[in-house]
Amino acid sequence: MTRPAPVASTGPGAGQGGGRDAVRAASPLRPVRPRTRWKSLVAVLVIAGITAWAAVTIQVDPADLVRNGGNAVNTLIQLVQPDYTFFPQTLDALGQTVQMAVIGTAIGVALSLPLSFLASRATNPDATSYRVVRFVMNVIRAVPDLLYASIFVTAIGVGALSGIVALVLFNLGIMVKLISEALDGVDRGGQEAALAAGGTWLKADRAAMLPEISPAFLSQTIYVLELNIRASTVLGLVGAGGLGMLIDKVRTFYEYHYLSLVIFEILALVIALDLLSSYVRGRIVR
Amino acid sequence: MSATALRPGMPAAAASARPRRPRQVLRTLVSVLVVLVIAASFWGVDLSWSSIAQAPASLLHIAHLMFGPPNWSQLPEALGATMLSVAMAWFGTVLGIVISFPLSLLATRGLLPGVVRWPVRAIFAVLRAVPEVVIAVLMLSVTGLTAFTGALAIAIGSIGTLGKWGFETFEAVDRGAIEAATAAGGSRVQVMRWGVWPAAQPEVLAFWLYRFEVSVRASAILGLIGAGGIGKMLVDNTQFRVWDTVGTLLIVVVVVTMIIDQLSGMVRQRIITGRWQLPLAARRGRRGSRGAGGLGGPADAAGPGAGGPGSGTGVEPNAGSDAGAAGILSETSAD
Repeated sequence: MTRPAPVASTGPGAGQGGGRDAVRAASPLRPVRPRTRWKSLVAVLVIAGITAWAAVTIQVDPADLVRNGGNAVNTLIQLVQPDYTFFPQTLDALGQTVQMAVIGTAIGVALSLPLSFLASRATNPDATSYRVVRFVMNVIRAVPDLLYASIFVTAIGVGALSGIVALVLFNLGIMVKLISEALDGVDRGGQEAALAAGGTWLKADRAAMLPEISPAFLSQTIYVLELNIRASTVLGLVGAGGLGMLIDKVRTFYEYHYLSLVIFEILALVIALDLLSSYVRGRIVR
Repeated sequence: MSATALRPGMPAAAASARPRRPRQVLRTLVSVLVVLVIAASFWGVDLSWSSIAQAPASLLHIAHLMFGPPNWSQLPEALGATMLSVAMAWFGTVLGIVISFPLSLLATRGLLPGVVRWPVRAIFAVLRAVPEVVIAVLMLSVTGLTAFTGALAIAIGSIGTLGKWGFETFEAVDRGAIEAATAAGGSRVQVMRWGVWPAAQPEVLAFWLYRFEVSVRASAILGLIGAGGIGKMLVDNTQFRVWDTVGTLLIVVVVVTMIIDQLSGMVRQRIITGRWQLPLAARRGRRGSRGAGGLGGPADAAGPGAGGPGSGTGVEPNAGSDAGAAGILSETSAD
């Protein structure tokens, strides 16, 4: 790639810079196209390469789909005919799903508030605890909720408790990240004033920073509740209570009439929470 | 977002003396209700209180078994399983992109009539509401327990979010270029290609990558219900209580997820800002210049869910389900 530019442009945007110089040199009318085509080509090749590797690794077999097509059609037909008489039997699991989500959110959110203050430079002057909390939270966030649940189910037993513990960890990861970032962005004038007036960091954070983030905190709490409802519907697949356990049960017996009813319930629950959450969050902002 | 600023009526009241506390009947009512709901959940949930008392001890015990020390001899096998999971996530995401991209064009306002737009949007909404694992459960019972099935489930699961982010980004594009392309006599396709795509491209690419990060997590989960990969290995070892191997697997999951997030974050950063920088480094470097709105990190710029490019800070409590996407986006962003 030759660059006619007399000015040695380096770094990002070098391609465009070269293009602009070329305009001056070559034609006053039409800008010369910056030569970035080879970059796109490399990117496309890399992506195609990875995709090919992935396809080989997971043994992609479209013929398999065709072979099982009839199966899929049968399942679909059963799925669109939910068996509503099954509804009373799902109520317990449905209730447990909601209970797990509410408890998980309550505990998780309560624990996350102090941790968020520890995990923000703006509110925690102590570098060590800041790093430790952030690191631990990053690790916690990297593990998906169902993985937690499957471990807890074996460790502390099948049922709602495992699900709740898994949800609490899941919530901690999300809340601490969101709230500590909110704290990073807050106007620190009040805190400075409180510190200058002789308050301790704890007092300054409590008096000046907490009110600043409380709308964000509330709003994120509702958002996390929404996520928890979603998560707690499926936690049962590994035995952690709620609707998921029911899914696991009916899918083992291929009872798709029941399965589709459960899925409808999940849909209704998720969408209802979604609407509630956007309504409440909308009010909090205003 | 400050709560104290801009409250109309405040100065007038303050002028006389001290402002009276506004009555907050609604707030009290809602608080009471929330407390009641939480209490009812605690009271009604089916828990054996004895197991709660034992839980911390048994968790500590198992943590000790897992990490003291983890069984490193299983590491090669664990890495192999992880590669399978990552492959599943990648292939599923690519497939999801291939399917969702044209669909999100169909759902974009101003391109096609509402008759086409709304059904497509409804499909996106339903797909977003069904948890991925449930889709996978359905798929698994059709095509069996293979990694390919897992990839298909990821593909279907990602169509909803990808499609929604797609059309929202296309609609948020500045109208100028579109008008110019239209005025120059461009057809719909040409307007899309030259008026919309150049402006939307960085963001679209960034959230494709972001979606891959989400899929990596999803693929680990899909293994739990039988789709193979690291999740399957984990569930097998958990069931037989081979805790030291479970410890190794957890470490592998955490490390691999973090590495992928960092790499992907780096590429997203490059796409959005034109600079190569590790997200971890970015966090430290730009702390000083960070304003109230921008929380840093490429994921913020990649948050098309929250109404408009660059505004998806995740903390901004944007009304509407869009905020979900924004929140998730920063959930795993630049850290």
